[in-house]
Parts: sequence; C-alpha cells; structure tokens
Amino acid sequence: MIVDGISKVGAYALFASDCVRSAVTHGVPWDRVMDESYKVGIRSFPVLFTMALFVGSNLAIQGYAAFSTLGAGNLVGMFVALAGVREVCPLLAATMVAAKAGTEMAAQLAVMRTKEQIDAIEVMAIDPRSELVAPSILAVMLTLPALTVFTIFVSLVASLAVAVLQLGVDTGEYLSFLVGYLTAYDLFAATLKSVFFGVIIATVSGYFGFFSERGARGVGQATNRAVVTMCIVIITLNFALTSILYG
Amino acid sequence: MADLSAARPIDAIPDGEPLISFRDVKKSFGDKHILKGISLDFPRGRTTVVIGPSGTGKSVCMKLIVGLLIPEEGDVWVAGTNVPDAPERDLMRIRKRIGMMFQDGALFDSMTVGDNIAFPLRRHTKLSPGEIADKVAESLEQVGLPGIEDRAPSALSGGMRKRVSLARAIITEPDIVMFDEPNSGLDPLTSDEIDGLISRMKEELGITFVVISHDIVGTFAVADKIAMLYNGRLVADGTPDEILRSDEPVLRRFLARNMDLPPLPGVSS
Repeated sequence: MIVDGISKVGAYALFASDCVRSAVTHGVPWDRVMDESYKVGIRSFPVLFTMALFVGSNLAIQGYAAFSTLGAGNLVGMFVALAGVREVCPLLAATMVAAKAGTEMAAQLAVMRTKEQIDAIEVMAIDPRSELVAPSILAVMLTLPALTVFTIFVSLVASLAVAVLQLGVDTGEYLSFLVGYLTAYDLFAATLKSVFFGVIIATVSGYFGFFSERGARGVGQATNRAVVTMCIVIITLNFALTSILYG
Repeated sequence: MADLSAARPIDAIPDGEPLISFRDVKKSFGDKHILKGISLDFPRGRTTVVIGPSGTGKSVCMKLIVGLLIPEEGDVWVAGTNVPDAPERDLMRIRKRIGMMFQDGALFDSMTVGDNIAFPLRRHTKLSPGEIADKVAESLEQVGLPGIEDRAPSALSGGMRKRVSLARAIITEPDIVMFDEPNSGLDPLTSDEIDGLISRMKEELGITFVVISHDIVGTFAVADKIAMLYNGRLVADGTPDEILRSDEPVLRRFLARNMDLPPLPGVSS
C-alpha cells in the first residue's frame, strides 16, 4: 500500500512536470486559456459570493462571541483580519474552485478519454498535456488569486455589516482594528497561497481525469478521487504555507 | 526483403511496397496476450483491411502504428522509422502524416463540426481563418456533408459522425488514413454509403488506407489486401481472391457467417 501510494505520487509528479515541459516545448493554446479562465473565474463568482457572504457573517458572530466574554467585542475586526484574510478566505476560494471547476476538469478529461478524444488529439500530433491540461493550470493560476481577493472583500464587507448592524459594534472601532492588524503582507500571503492551490487544483484534477479508466465508472471514480485528493492536499499545503509565511 | 530501417520520405516508397510493417509484434495487457508475434505489411497506395473477431487485437494494431501503445516485443516500422523506439519529434512527424477515423468519431463535444475539422489545421498551420474555412467546406464536401459546419456533434447521426471524423482525418492531406470499424453500429444502407465513401476516397486521394473491421461485406467492397487476426495470431494474409480461396478453417468459418460460403467439413460454426 505504501509502495503503491509512493508510486502514485511519483506518477503525479511526472505528469505535472510533463505538462509544464510540454507547454514550454509545444506552446500553450491561448484561446483555451481564455476559455478555461472564463469557466473557472466567471462561473465560480455566484457560488463564491454566497459562500463568502455567510462565512464573513459567521466570522463576525463567532469573533464577537469569543471576545465579548473578555469584554473586548470590538476586537472582532482584528479576528476577521487574522482568521478570515489569512486562513479562511484562501481556503474557501480554493476548495470552492476545486469542487466546481476542478471536478468539472477531471470529469471532462475522463469523458474525453472514454470517447477516444484524447487519443484523437495525440494522433493529430498534438500533445494533449499542452492542449488540455496546461491551459487549465494557467487559467486557475491566473483566476484563483483574483477570486481569493474577491472572497476576502465580500467576507470583510459581510462581517462589517453583521458586526455593526446585528452585534452593535462601532464602525470606526471595527475598521481601526481591521486596518491595524491587516497588512499588505497578509494580502500578499493569501494571494501567494492561492497560486499554489491553483497549481494543485489543475494538476490533480488533470491527473485523475487524464489517466481515468474508460466508461461511466471510470468517469465517476476520476471525479471522486480528484476532489478528495485536492481537498486533502490543499489543507495540508495550507498548513505548510502558513508555517513558512507566518511561522 | 526491403530494408525496413532505411528512413525515407513516404513519396520515395514505390506503390505496392510496404509503408507500414509489423515484425514479430507482441502485446499484452496484464496476463492477457493480445498479439502473440504478428508480422504483417501494409503496402503503400493500397487499402489493407484487418479483420477478425472482437478482442483479437485489431484496434491494438492501429494504436501501435501511431504509437498510442508500445509493444512488449517486435518492431512497427512506418516509412523506415521504428515507432516504438522513435523519439518524440519523429513520432510527431509520423503522426502528422496519418489521419484516423475513430469508431465513434471522437469528435470534440465542446466544438462545432467546423471547429472540429479545422482543429488540426489551426494547431499545425498558419493558414488564415478564411483559408481554413474554405478547406473545411471542401473537406465536408468530399465526405458528402456540405454546409454542416455550424452543427454540434451531438446533433449528428452515427454515420454522420464517422463522416465528419473522416473529414477531420483528411483535411491535413495525410499519406495514411486509418479507419477503426467504419461500419460498426450502422444500418446496412449507411454501411454501404461508408464503404462507397472509402472506395471513392481511395480513388480520389490515391493514398494508403488501413481499415479495421469485422464487417465482411464492407471488407470485400474496399480491400486490396486482407489480413485476419485470430487468437493473437495472423491466420490469413492476401488479396481478396486469395482470401476467398483460402482453406484456413477459422477464416472459412468467419466468412461463412456473412457470405454464404460453406464451412469446411468438420469445422463447427
């Protein structure tokens, strides 16, 4: 089992490096990068907006509940800055994109494998890694940071609204603690994390879709394995990145 | 015997001489031995049909020619290049000279018919959009489906999907066109149309065709040469006349089911 796991990690690493090598050697079709960016970015907007709205609201409620027992409910702005911007929002954006765009990529590649479309691309002397996977890697790397910033913005606005309108925190105090603790480095770190998460989402979903077994069962397995692996790797990588960036 | 390892342009190979050659090719999947040492030539400018029951490795042969699969043993020569050993650049060069019609078309669902056919030109040439559109229209005309550029692949019948796949295969003017089960899943009338199309293409293009089929009527309609695979081995190889006169029991049984030929005495059907 351990040997099998190591060999799969090796196969994934080889696939990811092949995608990069192929993209460098054969070039990347930019029309597909644009298509994928649209799919990942624009189509993820509504779901991310909804999630960010309520996660931001909950952060305000939980932060206020925790700090008000110490008589410092106005520190909620600091709590949102530390927990929301540094940790929750990058993870939220990444897991949502993994669940929505990542699974779609894995399923689409698996169906293409089943219907011999990947074989057709190879027979046309086109490397399917540079044609199908490399554009997704670039698209997610480009759009996920933007989606992360969007998630941060929406959750901050939502937490401010809940803190002021529902919990009675003073707007000026909320903003002063938020601005006092939120630095440019936090935004840089969140964006940097999202770039790494983007690479993971595109390569993991690409790997499971590209090497899926043929048939309906293969498509289902590829999608399922992709989303589970993406979530585990993203959470683990987030710990590593937080340790490096803030440790 | 010709020196198979002498790499040369396809144009330099005389008509009727081997363009593709299998030598002692063995291929397995796990413990299932699909090809057990096949040696077979596909002459230039001819239509070679590989027949045999399902699961005998016909499609595997096709994938070996384009390097989608690698044999455990043996050589697959295409115009003097041994595909299993070929570096990526040579493999890509060979693939650019090959077009393939897939069993179910293998058309990209996310693109229109026109975009599907234009796809290899957009990736491999610097033709203008207008020139590409002209070639797409010409290619569709050749397969008898003019004016369907804007349709979605999902709106096409099985026969039309195969024709569009053929239009995509020939748009780059390849030297070899391969057909994977061109008649499978089609009604007899549409099968006849596809056979007629293959024969007409052969006359118009004068290139090398490789056809994988288990449709006997269609095979004799298009073949210059027929090879039969059975149980991982080549059991018959010759012109249609030679195949009809063959007394190979398995071949007789295979043909008898489709062509009213009497099976040999003692051979159960």
